Amino acid sequence: MTTDIEYTPFELMAVAGARELKDGEIVGVGLGLPVVATFLAKRTHAPHISILLELGVVDPEPIDVGVDGLSDPRIWYRAKIHTSFADMLGSVLHKGLIDVGFLGALEVDAYGNLNTTLLGDPKGRYRRFTGSGGGNDIASCARRTVVTIRHEARKLNEAVSFITSPGYLRGGDEREKLGLLGAPSRVITDKAIFDFDPQTKRMRLKSIHPNTTLDDVLSNMSFKPVIPDELPVTAPPTAEQIRLIREEIDPERAYAGS
Amino acid sequence: MSKVSTLSEAVASIPHGNHVALSGFATARCTMAFAHEVIRQGKKQLTVSQCVGAMDADLLVGAGAVERIVYGGGSRGRSGQHFCIQRAIEQRTLITEEFSSLSMTFRYLAGSLGLPFIPIRSLNGSDILKQLQEKTPPLVGRLEDPFTGESWLVLKPLVPDVSVVQVQVADEEGNAWILGPRWDNEEQSKASNRTIVITEQLVSTEMIQRYPERARIHGFRVSHVVHLPFSAHPSSVYGVYDFDKEHIKTYAEASKTPEGLQEYLNNYVYGVNDHWGYLEKVGGMKVLNKLLADPILGY
Repeated sequence: MTTDIEYTPFELMAVAGARELKDGEIVGVGLGLPVVATFLAKRTHAPHISILLELGVVDPEPIDVGVDGLSDPRIWYRAKIHTSFADMLGSVLHKGLIDVGFLGALEVDAYGNLNTTLLGDPKGRYRRFTGSGGGNDIASCARRTVVTIRHEARKLNEAVSFITSPGYLRGGDEREKLGLLGAPSRVITDKAIFDFDPQTKRMRLKSIHPNTTLDDVLSNMSFKPVIPDELPVTAPPTAEQIRLIREEIDPERAYAGS
Repeated sequence: MSKVSTLSEAVASIPHGNHVALSGFATARCTMAFAHEVIRQGKKQLTVSQCVGAMDADLLVGAGAVERIVYGGGSRGRSGQHFCIQRAIEQRTLITEEFSSLSMTFRYLAGSLGLPFIPIRSLNGSDILKQLQEKTPPLVGRLEDPFTGESWLVLKPLVPDVSVVQVQVADEEGNAWILGPRWDNEEQSKASNRTIVITEQLVSTEMIQRYPERARIHGFRVSHVVHLPFSAHPSSVYGVYDFDKEHIKTYAEASKTPEGLQEYLNNYVYGVNDHWGYLEKVGGMKVLNKLLADPILGY
């Protein structure tokens, strides 16, 4: 299907996130875009993924949207198991069984390190934000992490001002040496998708989204990623994916604004 | 033996400066009535711990009852940040020991098992760890695995003086069910020297014995059982009532400034004699009735 369909940057990011999930995988999910991406994957190519919420919820099937956070019982509905942090983040994540962890951040850097703790302003002052929650644990132990973040120069920096959750630290084998499991796999923005250079571990452009230029991508970042010789355009969403997001997964656009 | 007591008696049993583990997670099963009474009794210099910062801790910090918070970060979900905690950290009026959800859980778990330390993968390479390494006495260390020779980060266990847990169902001995996800609550209670149970429903021990697989809090760990309906309001109690979105908005707005918070405290905490007065103040049964949960949905 190549007919032009309209979609928002959020929808394209959710579809790109869904494509990162393979059927049968165990996925650790935070709220917002990852929820839409994960339920989209489950309703399309990956019906057998297992969805875990860190506070102790396995495979929920929420029917009410407008969810207020992980603590909103609407997102626990029809779960198969209600359990605990020690179970989800311990016996599953720490043991190395989470295939994909979805993370958001205030700031991400050239080596995939994430900051959700401190945000600086131009006057050099810092404001505190939410801190880790399960973010550091997922970044330390999930086999692959997928980060979604808005494509803005102040959010994409050479080095984050505070490492809440480790990526490849300063690159090379720095992460490996610390005994952390897994590794950052993708960074999905509203302009492009990145992976990481296998040797240096520096962020590398993987594809740029339709209707975006390389110049637009680079001029809205505060560091230069690795640019491969061939740079494909991100596949646009299909009409069916957009229909599922709008009619079944997020009909009230409760997540789309997040 | 019956441990049923008033909220006021349960709170009075906690000395100033105690370490109190709270059962809230963001806007779910927060120990709100307990926090109100702690503030009314003028408790000071508490250490408060929980895996993910919740409304109960934020209110206690805002009211000046807390000297030190030990937690894994957190927010109130969509309704925003914990403004009181953030303000206190920025103004350096609160000592923080910030971890992650799992490292907090492991610290409680180590405490619950009587272990001297517990190894963990999390925190390595992060600035969270760097901050913790500056603390004295130390909270983290390194050890060599005697079996493989690998170097491991190890955490100090947490042993709170008292764990306060908001539950759906308990008997007079303190045997209690936690329905829905339990986050860190079982480990908190087991790590602590004693537990105060605050329950929506008080049932006979016959009922507890009918479903022994459901009890998550063990009566022999419990010092007080407080039976109070809507004692987590405006947060939710799964299967009993939903969170009160409107009141959470009121709190979110008020807590943005110290003045707003003071006004909130004057209205809803100092301005009422007890929890019953609070329930009237927030609208009484007319409002609370609308929050009652659907038995299938749980909210």
